[in-house]
Amino acid sequence: MIVHPPSQSSLSDPSTIAPPVPSRIHEGVASWQALRARRWYAVMGLMVFLTCGAIMFCLQFGAHALTMAELWSALTFTKSGSEEVARAIIWDIQFPRILMGLFVGASLAITGAALQALVRNPLADPYVLGISSGAAFGATIGLALGLGSIVGGLGLPLCAFIGGGLSIVLVYGVAASQGQLPMHKLLLAGVIVNAVCSALMMFATSILNPASLYRVVMWLMGTLSAPSIPALIGIGASLMLAVVLLLRESQALNLLAVGEDAARSSGVDSDRVQRLVFLVSAVLTGAVVSVSGMIGFVGMVVPHLVRILCGADHRLLLPVSALGGGILLMVADTVARTVVAPAEIPVGVITALIGGPFFIYLLMTRKYRFFA
Amino acid sequence: MSQQASVSAGSSPSPAFEVNRLSFRYDSVRSSPSDAVSGWIIKGMEFAVHQGEIVGVIGPNGSGKSSLLKLLTKLVRPQEGSIRLFGAEMGTLSRESIARQVAYMPQDLSYDFPFSVLDMVLMGRFPYRRGGVWNLVGWERQDDLAVAEDAMAQTDVTHLANRMIDTLSAGERQRVLLARALAQVPRVLMLDEPTAHLDLNHQLDVCRILKRVHAQLQMTVVLVSHDINLASQYCDRILVMKQGAVVCFGSPQEVIHPQVLAEVYGCQVLVDAHPDTGLPRVSLPSQDGHQTVAVSGMV
Repeated sequence: MIVHPPSQSSLSDPSTIAPPVPSRIHEGVASWQALRARRWYAVMGLMVFLTCGAIMFCLQFGAHALTMAELWSALTFTKSGSEEVARAIIWDIQFPRILMGLFVGASLAITGAALQALVRNPLADPYVLGISSGAAFGATIGLALGLGSIVGGLGLPLCAFIGGGLSIVLVYGVAASQGQLPMHKLLLAGVIVNAVCSALMMFATSILNPASLYRVVMWLMGTLSAPSIPALIGIGASLMLAVVLLLRESQALNLLAVGEDAARSSGVDSDRVQRLVFLVSAVLTGAVVSVSGMIGFVGMVVPHLVRILCGADHRLLLPVSALGGGILLMVADTVARTVVAPAEIPVGVITALIGGPFFIYLLMTRKYRFFA
Repeated sequence: MSQQASVSAGSSPSPAFEVNRLSFRYDSVRSSPSDAVSGWIIKGMEFAVHQGEIVGVIGPNGSGKSSLLKLLTKLVRPQEGSIRLFGAEMGTLSRESIARQVAYMPQDLSYDFPFSVLDMVLMGRFPYRRGGVWNLVGWERQDDLAVAEDAMAQTDVTHLANRMIDTLSAGERQRVLLARALAQVPRVLMLDEPTAHLDLNHQLDVCRILKRVHAQLQMTVVLVSHDINLASQYCDRILVMKQGAVVCFGSPQEVIHPQVLAEVYGCQVLVDAHPDTGLPRVSLPSQDGHQTVAVSGMV
């Protein structure tokens, strides 16, 4: 990760701290800081480990089950037995798909976490901004006009991304006034753009031919199958950029999540932070929806689970949500393509079926603050 | 009695706040019931708050108290007039540099997210954060934690450090918010209804802490309150507002006067001396309404 917790040096060598520590400092302070740093390392280490484990799990239990030996030889490029087929399966088919699951899940979860803080509403998710409906409408128009297969198969994602981009402009234009972005107006604008785009999309689908209609419906359900390499690189790069930009504002998001006036009085440039987080979230959501359709539940549930487990500090919440969302979607996608193989269940169905009951269980037992 | 409060700075160094011909209204809606024609919430206010004093702002609902507090923390910008903070024009100061001098304690915050008390108090260190390539997320340093720990000790919430904010009582939350404000190491503390919704015991707690902090740190305190008695007991000077203007500004003995209060609030009240401090104390008259204003000990 790019993130760095409180400087290690100050833990091991107190003399390196620049400002003189007040004399009233007592042991509690040092132990708190050590605890916070240690907790951050422990949780992030665990998450990275789980992510690697999930990748291995998904590689092994994909639709084309491999033995451990085959998997190992394919991953390490050593020759043994049926290596050629295994290598092709892993590197050309499985790995891009798993990586796409990781990127899409991470994008949805980190966007959801950031937006929940921004609008101070734990029920927000990436689709609340109306960008996804705009992208869906764009994709539908693209299919209706037969643009789906132009530009080397990227026609559909491009149409969707243009639709999403136009709805970003629309939502922002409606909500922003005098350099400010009032959150209640942003939510209302998102809801309304959502409704209008959905209506337009229903109209478009009602006049589509059955073959295109089927593609639209499948696209809407969300799928990670056969990602193109440019799409994979595009999503990966946008995700990295978004992670850096959001982490830079994670402490500001903490302050905004508990109150805007108080945050401003503590020095948060709320207008800039709100604009930035909205734009980053909107663009990332548009990109993700363009390549994978509407995969529900990850963006709303994962931040909640992480908050229950690790507390609300966005400096920890954002990266852990990203990895957690990636893990959830990778595993859900593996389930989706194996349980009824060779057919596939839409991955959105699996995320809802895994996430929903688990979320209800956590809500009912209210097991808040395990680690916090 | 109704003296106009144009206070000169005197011999002391530049006042904490120097407010000149300050006028403010919300841009979009003419929402002020008190002045529906012009929509001005604050009209030509002039006063100064000296360093180290406790100033209470009182006045009826809609008199512009909260707007004044927002103006003094630059949460909103005035249309006319100026505010000087320790001699510096407030409009030219960045949000962060104001936050290092003025801390604002809101009435209440949103508790939908499970932050710990320590998380909450450390938010007060935001204007002092040092980012950079190697500290992308802005972790606090050890000195930040020392300041936060000190602030929590000041307000007696150290034992709550790892509790979740949503599990605390209203009195404990109020002390946590105060600790968060103190963690900003401000020169001026702005409080919006610091004792609203608190029972007597917790009101006393908050007031004692305020008094102690003020005495130890020589902090300037500006508080808005509906509780005139609280203002009378704890404030050096009281600013009485009505319809966005200063009615009078002076010591509790000067300001807590039946005629002034009757003029401002539009109802008769009784004023007598507090049995302990001798400071003026306000109570509402009995319901029959025939009783004339009774004044004892004050005039």
